[in-house]
Amino acid sequence: MKNAFLNKCVFVTGPGDAITLSENSPSGFPIAFRSCDDCALSPERIDLDRRCLEECHLLEGMGRLRLLNFQHNLITHIHNLSHLRHLAFLDLYDNHISQMSGISALASLRVLMLGKNRIQRTCSLDNLTKLDILDLHGNQISQIGNLSHLSELRVLNLAGNCISRVDNLQGLDSLTELNLRRNCISTVTEVDQLPCLQRLFLSCNSITSFDELACLGESCSLYELTLDGNPVALETWYKQAALRCVLQLRQLDMKRVTEEERRMACVMARKEDEKKRESHKQAMHKEKRRLAIRNAALQWEGVRACLEHPAQNGAKEEVSPEASPAHSPAQTNGLGGGASLSLSDSHLAELDGETLRLFGLGALEALERGWGVQTAGAVTVIAFRYIHFDAIVPTLPRIRVKFPNLSHLIFLETNVSRLPQLAALAQVRRLDQLTIHPEGNPVVSLSLWRSFLIYRLHHFNLHKINNLEVTMNDVISAERLFGTLGHIAATETPRCRLLVLLEESRKRQLQFLLEGRGRRAGLSPEELRDNGKLLGEGLSRALFNYPSRDCCSEGAMESSSERRAVMEQYIQAQVQRASDTNLKGESLHKLWPSMFMEMVRDYVLEMRDRPTFRQACLNRLSTQGK
Amino acid sequence: MLKNSLQLLTLSPLAAETNVLFYLNDAVTQLLEHKEEYTQFGIVRYFAEYFSSVKNGNHVLFREFGYIKATAHNRASFIRVLWRCFRQIGKNGDLLAMLEYSSLLQLLCPDFPVEMVQHAARIVLMDDAMDCLMSFSDFLFSFQIQFYFEEFLESIAAIYQDLLSGKSPNTVIVPTSTSVEQLPQVATEETEAQEGVDSSVFGECIEVLCERFKHNHPSTSAIREVLELTQRVTFYGFVMALVRHEGINQDIGALPNKSELLIDPEMDQEVEKLIAQIAISPTSNSSSSVPGHKEPPRKASPRKSLHHRKRIEMESDGSTEETDSSEN
Repeated sequence: MKNAFLNKCVFVTGPGDAITLSENSPSGFPIAFRSCDDCALSPERIDLDRRCLEECHLLEGMGRLRLLNFQHNLITHIHNLSHLRHLAFLDLYDNHISQMSGISALASLRVLMLGKNRIQRTCSLDNLTKLDILDLHGNQISQIGNLSHLSELRVLNLAGNCISRVDNLQGLDSLTELNLRRNCISTVTEVDQLPCLQRLFLSCNSITSFDELACLGESCSLYELTLDGNPVALETWYKQAALRCVLQLRQLDMKRVTEEERRMACVMARKEDEKKRESHKQAMHKEKRRLAIRNAALQWEGVRACLEHPAQNGAKEEVSPEASPAHSPAQTNGLGGGASLSLSDSHLAELDGETLRLFGLGALEALERGWGVQTAGAVTVIAFRYIHFDAIVPTLPRIRVKFPNLSHLIFLETNVSRLPQLAALAQVRRLDQLTIHPEGNPVVSLSLWRSFLIYRLHHFNLHKINNLEVTMNDVISAERLFGTLGHIAATETPRCRLLVLLEESRKRQLQFLLEGRGRRAGLSPEELRDNGKLLGEGLSRALFNYPSRDCCSEGAMESSSERRAVMEQYIQAQVQRASDTNLKGESLHKLWPSMFMEMVRDYVLEMRDRPTFRQACLNRLSTQGK
Repeated sequence: MLKNSLQLLTLSPLAAETNVLFYLNDAVTQLLEHKEEYTQFGIVRYFAEYFSSVKNGNHVLFREFGYIKATAHNRASFIRVLWRCFRQIGKNGDLLAMLEYSSLLQLLCPDFPVEMVQHAARIVLMDDAMDCLMSFSDFLFSFQIQFYFEEFLESIAAIYQDLLSGKSPNTVIVPTSTSVEQLPQVATEETEAQEGVDSSVFGECIEVLCERFKHNHPSTSAIREVLELTQRVTFYGFVMALVRHEGINQDIGALPNKSELLIDPEMDQEVEKLIAQIAISPTSNSSSSVPGHKEPPRKASPRKSLHHRKRIEMESDGSTEETDSSEN
């Protein structure tokens, strides 16, 4: 105990006050007395700094003390202060305090300075509800805590500690300044729960990214921030990111934020938002697309199971439900996906560069809508999937008109099962490439399908079928296989039948020729054979058509059967008449000789007596004249 | 023309056999259904052509299945047409599946039912391994029997089933396709242990059937010949024997002998001609079609005759299907 120091102390408390120190204290603690004169004016401020004090003096009779200064001493514990009911300012800066207990009774304390001590834990602050400023810089605090009662605290200084995570800030409803410089902070949370926080100092910490500062963006009051000395401040985009994170920031790292910078940050924040929204929209769209394709596939499986011919292997039907929907996500992920033209929960039509993809029956309506000339002109490939071929057929003639540059058609899972269906493709009039995928198209399992296709679509001059080039040999062998069929069909079908079978233009052609040549009835075989030559090569192939199914309707069937019944009766009647007439003719023919003989004999007999005959005739004539 | 049909009519027993009324009915029905085309064509010419085609056997081309099935003559004509059209495919040596043949048939008759082809295939394959491949001649001859004698085969199938299940052969069997009676199991097992039924019993039943059978059936002598060959006979064995019987084939008259099935030098020549036309045609694969290149409108070249030019004008009415090699 260094009393010499104490002797030198001068208490600056009030005008004319003098305080003497008594050396005799029972506890050995220096007790400071004030003269009785001075007691009337009890001091409100005592400075006991730089006195090498190792303990807090018991200050009796200091009931009205308001400021107590113990700076730069060697105090290890906070003692003997509990009676100072009016103490508002306690300064224990630069001591050896390791525990904060002892201040808990100082309910009127406003400012507590405990900087540069050895405190490891904040505690005993529960009653200090009036605390305005708390300074704990330069200690060994590793965790923020036990501050929730300090509802009037405005400034909190925790600089130079070992804090690694900012949390437990609830309850500090008046906090405006929070100093956390020179800690080891890597994550900041709960700052947005401080409704009045205006200044936050986080210099010289270990913050690496703005993700750790996410809560700062939520704060409405923060306008000053320092982040220098953190790894994040070394990034090139640091300033923009900071401004984007905390939009209302007015000072960053002790420098004012200019209007320009703030505006830019706003713009960029908005752009980021939009980008996020855009990517979210895209993700949603992608999901919708995937669902549409999957539902189209499922619907297709259902339809196909019904249409599946009983003769076909049962194995096919069982395999499909597992295989196909699992298959399609893989496939659809591979497909780029492009501008979606028509999307519902069970069909999808999208334009992907040059390719128009249609999934599900409902997608066909995308072909009907208005197409701009340029967009339509860009389409060179149309791919159909999960749509029944019979439903596609009626659209084929219009496709050619709508998409003049179409060169490749792809059919996947469209249930092309018979050769005549392939003939329907002729309506497209011109094509470069054709793909009929084996998956979902039973026709590909027939060994003649390719030859028939080449034969029927000969005039297309297809380059490739299913990515295999069509060689001259293919063409010749197709002709060899199906040439007779076409030849016989063209030459031997009666012309009346031809008229019914052919499409409009050829029909007119045929009619024109028939009129022009003015043929008589009863064509000879050679003339019949000329059918083919007259109408050009294509006739034989053109006879094989696949009509759209809307020609047969219930009403038509009924009326035709009625008609048939009426007709049968009519024909019976006519035939009866004809055969009766014929019978009559025949019997006449049989009887005629004898009839003729009789007639002649009668006349000869009549004319034997010529004068009598003459008279009889004249009489007959005169009676007739009357 | 009128005289011709009248002559046909007056030979009344022949009229019944040749189904003249049926054809007349059909001709008039078709006329009514396609009034516009045929009135322009000329009604007299229409009837002439119709009956000529009936005589020549061409009338079944591209007609509906109901029509083709209606008379024996139609059926035979159809079989003959099949043979002529697809002979080349047979010549190629391909073995094809049932579905493939069905597809080919549908090219000529769009609503031809697959069941018929199935039955024919079953005969060839002896009701075993239905997705096996068949040769053209096997299929064609089986198809002939199946199609031409369809009702007959149904009836004897019923008879066969009855015999298999042990019904007494002396009962007068009225063959309907739904007559399958419940009989004690013992009897069935006994008969199934030995394959098929007794040939003579079977033959008797068939003869009884044939006596009052309204539809076509093979001649009884042929049937007897077939059944004499074996002691016991299975259904498909019997039918297969019918298929192979030369006499029946000739009776039907649609197809030549099996050995001559693939021979037709005249048609071969035609095929060669067609191929030659294609080979020399300049519209071969690698050359012209540039994607995105719209087809230029056809212009009449000056050296063509007037008639030709008229034809070209008709063609450019929208049909770009045709490739007239001389134009290129």
